[in-house]
Amino acid sequence: MLEFLLALLTTATVAALLAPLLRRQIVRRDRLASDTAVYRDQLAEVERERGRGALSVAEADAARTEIERRLLAAADRDKAEPEADASWHRFLVPAMCLLIPLFALGLYLRIGQPGLPAAPFVARSVPAATPDQSRDVAQAVAALRARLAEKPDDVEALSALGEALTHQADGVVTAEAQGLLRRALEKNPDDARAMFYLGLADAQGGDSRAALKRWGELEQRSPPNAPWLATLREEMQRVARAAGLPAPAAPTPPPGPTQDQMQAMQNLSPADRQQAIRGMVEGLEARLRASSGKPEDRDGWLRLANARRVLGENDKAVEAYAKADALGTLEPRLLADWAEVHVRQLQPGTAPSAAAVAVLERLEKAEPRNALALFYLGAADFARGDKPSAVRRWKTLLALLPADAPIRAMLEGKIKEAE
Amino acid sequence: MNRTLFLLPLMMLVILAGFFGWSLLSGRDPASIGSVMVGRAAPRLSAPSLREGEPALTEALLRTGKPVLVNFFASWCAPCLAEHPLFTRLKEREGATIIGIAWKDKPEATRAWLARLGDPFAKAGYDTDGKLALDWGLSGVPETYLIDGNGIVRLHFRGPITERDLSVILPLLRGGS
Repeated sequence: MLEFLLALLTTATVAALLAPLLRRQIVRRDRLASDTAVYRDQLAEVERERGRGALSVAEADAARTEIERRLLAAADRDKAEPEADASWHRFLVPAMCLLIPLFALGLYLRIGQPGLPAAPFVARSVPAATPDQSRDVAQAVAALRARLAEKPDDVEALSALGEALTHQADGVVTAEAQGLLRRALEKNPDDARAMFYLGLADAQGGDSRAALKRWGELEQRSPPNAPWLATLREEMQRVARAAGLPAPAAPTPPPGPTQDQMQAMQNLSPADRQQAIRGMVEGLEARLRASSGKPEDRDGWLRLANARRVLGENDKAVEAYAKADALGTLEPRLLADWAEVHVRQLQPGTAPSAAAVAVLERLEKAEPRNALALFYLGAADFARGDKPSAVRRWKTLLALLPADAPIRAMLEGKIKEAE
Repeated sequence: MNRTLFLLPLMMLVILAGFFGWSLLSGRDPASIGSVMVGRAAPRLSAPSLREGEPALTEALLRTGKPVLVNFFASWCAPCLAEHPLFTRLKEREGATIIGIAWKDKPEATRAWLARLGDPFAKAGYDTDGKLALDWGLSGVPETYLIDGNGIVRLHFRGPITERDLSVILPLLRGGS
């Protein structure tokens, strides 16, 4: 709708500008016609005056000659002018048609920002703190103070209270909050929350360099999938911009296929593509095996495990997940993938291996309602002879399943068998 | 005659466009209204103390031989919240003497605000009706004055002080008068 209105407005403007340009010719013709009419009137008047005797014949002749002379001059001028006017006219319109868009384009290329994302109002408006929230914060502060009174060295409570006090002060990291956060950081140098808020305190106190340094350290130490990284990067950009400092460089992304390689991959036949993927996966594995278990390799192992899993090479995927896990404990989402490649290798009706059970148990601990873990751990219990435990797990699973789940009947049969 | 009349609107346009262009590109701050205070002796200072039991604020506080920052603020003012951590830092790291005057604010609201955020002020007073602020040429809050050891106003910031302003404030604070 808005675009349509703008187009309408533009058309109207262009029409208003164009009209006089195209009409100039006609106006000039009009002038000659009106000149001629005036002179004719004057001639007629001279005749009338003479007829009434107000002018002598000699005077009338002189006047008529003068008027005729002017009439000729006007006609001459009209003939002479078109030449000059027309050449001016002939170039003006095309020149304007060319120059105005060029100028507009140049201006747009210089100051336009076509890549700027839209900023819808809904996304920008931040919900204001309701009285309810401020009461919650006050309660949290009181609870944390009580906890610290009992255990003054509780790192978690120290940094949580620092955060709560900051919320209470409308986002200002107060002197008291800074003291608490510093104490938390002394006891646990890896406390991400304390590092973040102390950096914020630096930034608010007008020491952006110190803030960016501290946040840079935090970014270095954070695991690559830490939930706060996006916020942290945003804050770093904001503070750097406000202080006129160069924007901090993003940490180097893990090596992966480049844009060109991806493009080349798209053009291959399915068989060739499969071959190429396998080649890359083997290359990655060789590189990881040559490396001596550095913590940075964890990402590489995870990518390898994922590739193996997608390719259906379950035994190799299991091994890659184990390597990654050794370099840094896996999160629940990855545990689920790991457990999945484990159980994919099972023959129907057999119980999961000890290694698979270990992974499934970790998954169940992280996500007590995970269907995969409940089902296969139940199977392991059943095979071991621990029937009550199997029934308990399967019944939990049954309660989680939707009423029309196709495996319900099978599961109910299994429960009956165990009971 | 006719020709020059025809050119008149065009000339007006050129003059206006030139002025707008210059305004945009010269870095001039059209919101700045300057200050007549800088270089003169600090105006009268007398305000009741915000803290119960403390004596009222007087001129003597501005003539101690040490530079002093005078900050007008209010608990209802959001930019004051933004600049507050800078004053905390100036007091803690630089040992700056800062006098705070709450402008058109209820003393109890100011006290609650300072209790929440921390109180960086060596002395704090209030100017509920804004009469004191008239003498200081205040246009609103926050505004900050730097007064040297001889009681002369050296700097006057209209609006919140920022990290960039510290490069002007710190040498004067450290260098004494």
